[in-house]
Amino acid sequence: MQINRLRTKTGGILNFSDYKKPVFKVVYIVILAILFIAVLTALIPPLWLFISGFKDASELESTPYHLFPEMFSIAKIAEVWKAIDFGKYFVNTLIVVVGAVLCSVVFNGLLAYAFAIIKPKGHKFFFALVMLGYMIPAIASIVPLYKEIMNVRLLFDGAAEWLTGYAPLWLIFGANAFYLIMFKNYFESLPKALFEAARIDGCSKLGMFFKVVVPLSRPIIGVVAIFTMTAAWSDFLLPYLILQDDSLMTVMVKIYNLQATMGTVMGFGPDRLLMVLTISILPQIVLFALFQRQITANAVSSGIKE
Amino acid sequence: MKKEEASEKLIDRSALSYKALTTVKKNWGGWLIMLPGIILFAFFVWIPLITNIKLSFQETVGFTGSGFVGFDNYIRVMDNPIFWKALTNTFKYAFWSVIIGFLVPIVLGLFLSEVVHFKGLFRVGIYFPAIISGIAVVIMWTYIFNPNPGAVMNVLLGVFGIAPSSFLSSQEMVIPLIVITMTWKGAGATALIYLSALQNIGDAQYEAARIDGANALQRIRYVTLPHIWPTVKMLFILQIISIFQIFYEPLVMTGGGGPNGASVSLLLLSYQYAFEMGDASASAAVGVILSLIIIVLTVVYLKPKGITNFLGKIKNGIVKAVKKCK
Repeated sequence: MQINRLRTKTGGILNFSDYKKPVFKVVYIVILAILFIAVLTALIPPLWLFISGFKDASELESTPYHLFPEMFSIAKIAEVWKAIDFGKYFVNTLIVVVGAVLCSVVFNGLLAYAFAIIKPKGHKFFFALVMLGYMIPAIASIVPLYKEIMNVRLLFDGAAEWLTGYAPLWLIFGANAFYLIMFKNYFESLPKALFEAARIDGCSKLGMFFKVVVPLSRPIIGVVAIFTMTAAWSDFLLPYLILQDDSLMTVMVKIYNLQATMGTVMGFGPDRLLMVLTISILPQIVLFALFQRQITANAVSSGIKE
Repeated sequence: MKKEEASEKLIDRSALSYKALTTVKKNWGGWLIMLPGIILFAFFVWIPLITNIKLSFQETVGFTGSGFVGFDNYIRVMDNPIFWKALTNTFKYAFWSVIIGFLVPIVLGLFLSEVVHFKGLFRVGIYFPAIISGIAVVIMWTYIFNPNPGAVMNVLLGVFGIAPSSFLSSQEMVIPLIVITMTWKGAGATALIYLSALQNIGDAQYEAARIDGANALQRIRYVTLPHIWPTVKMLFILQIISIFQIFYEPLVMTGGGGPNGASVSLLLLSYQYAFEMGDASASAAVGVILSLIIIVLTVVYLKPKGITNFLGKIKNGIVKAVKKCK
């Protein structure tokens, strides 16, 4: 281990001067150990899932328990994938996620911009309403919400079936108080002088959003986009209620259906369900690998300070 | 902007219509920008909320309300013993989530901000469970908590000499286990929020504290904690709000609230009323009750004076107890 790095650590609760003392070296090692345990706790269950997916049904239940399957057959992944036609559900989920991210960033961003910077008459009233709506879970009003969504579908009547199915799932992410507050807090921290300057230069309000606010807000846009992405991937209740047609189902809805009907479908046992779960996690891992820097980088403090 | 203000001074104050006109003129751009978001909020949040309240006082045919029946729906719901079970369970979820889930992300965030080795590995690893979709997580843990004595978790417990457990089929353990599952999924993401708050603390502040002779614990007490306190407070109430919305975890992990209703939550009950029992007005009533509980809790919580007094009393109590012990 490069203990040198401790000698150059200038910030934080403990810095280089503390680490000259042996007691803090021990503290540091304890911190490292706890973090390693946390990482292991986070990674071992998915690894177990991955390994178990390769077992066959009888192996899963066999005693004494053995961790590893008798054979890893890559062919099983392909076989399960094909049997369920999993690619279709991935494409569906991707469509839902992309639309949700767009709606989430644009609509919440614009509204937060109005609340934080333009402040037109009445903005306080509407912000209070947003906060009220935030406290109360949308699905506590599940019946009217369901009916409302069926009405939105009527608006898109005549459009393609996938559009009527997915449009409400996209749009509902445009009304998210949490993302809105994140945007609002960030916008409020931007230097006021910039907006004055843009105004004097004759920039319109909407123009200012796209030319001044958006370029300065990349970090928070990234954070909201990623939060929306994971939320939309995991979204279950509404897609489950709305997407009844198998050809429109998202991965989550399909997995739930597979689990719920497991006993009744021939040849689809728990081992295959575990394999399906593994497969369903893989694209998220790829996505995560691609966006890992944005996700885990210090998203907020890379902003500008006045 | 300046021009408008000047012209505003010039106009006759009594000319109300003119004033209204300038208000519109000044604000229409902002209103237009607000409009799309407001429409979405109205459509997906505010209108359903109001309709739901109305529905809870109505008779329903399918999902459509007809005649008003007063508090009949509420009485019918409260006559059902499962409602009281769901109510106590919901508070049990909240209790366990505070015990199990609240401190973990704070400590992780603190450690992540202090550590200088393997930074990337730690952040990625700890955040990892958050990227797995909720349904996949709960099904995975349902299999890990397989009550079969030869299954993975029981074998693992056996290594430490602990007798096999029935896990999710145990009425006492089911809620803590579901909370553990949720913590496993959520703690990493929350830790990163704390991390970003922690990284906003300038080195100069710690330096100043050091010059004043503060030791490590004092630096945590007087620099770190005050700085992240708003985040802690916010995330605490967020966690409570989100735990009250627990729904699909018991639906999937215990097949809809088992064993014997020991894990059914209010929201799950509301869902079951609507989509399994076909009783939309009872579903609305449960939803309204749940919303009221959350509003009351939030308002009480956000009233800072009451909370500070409350904490002050606890602190005094502890100080007195400590003195007595000495």
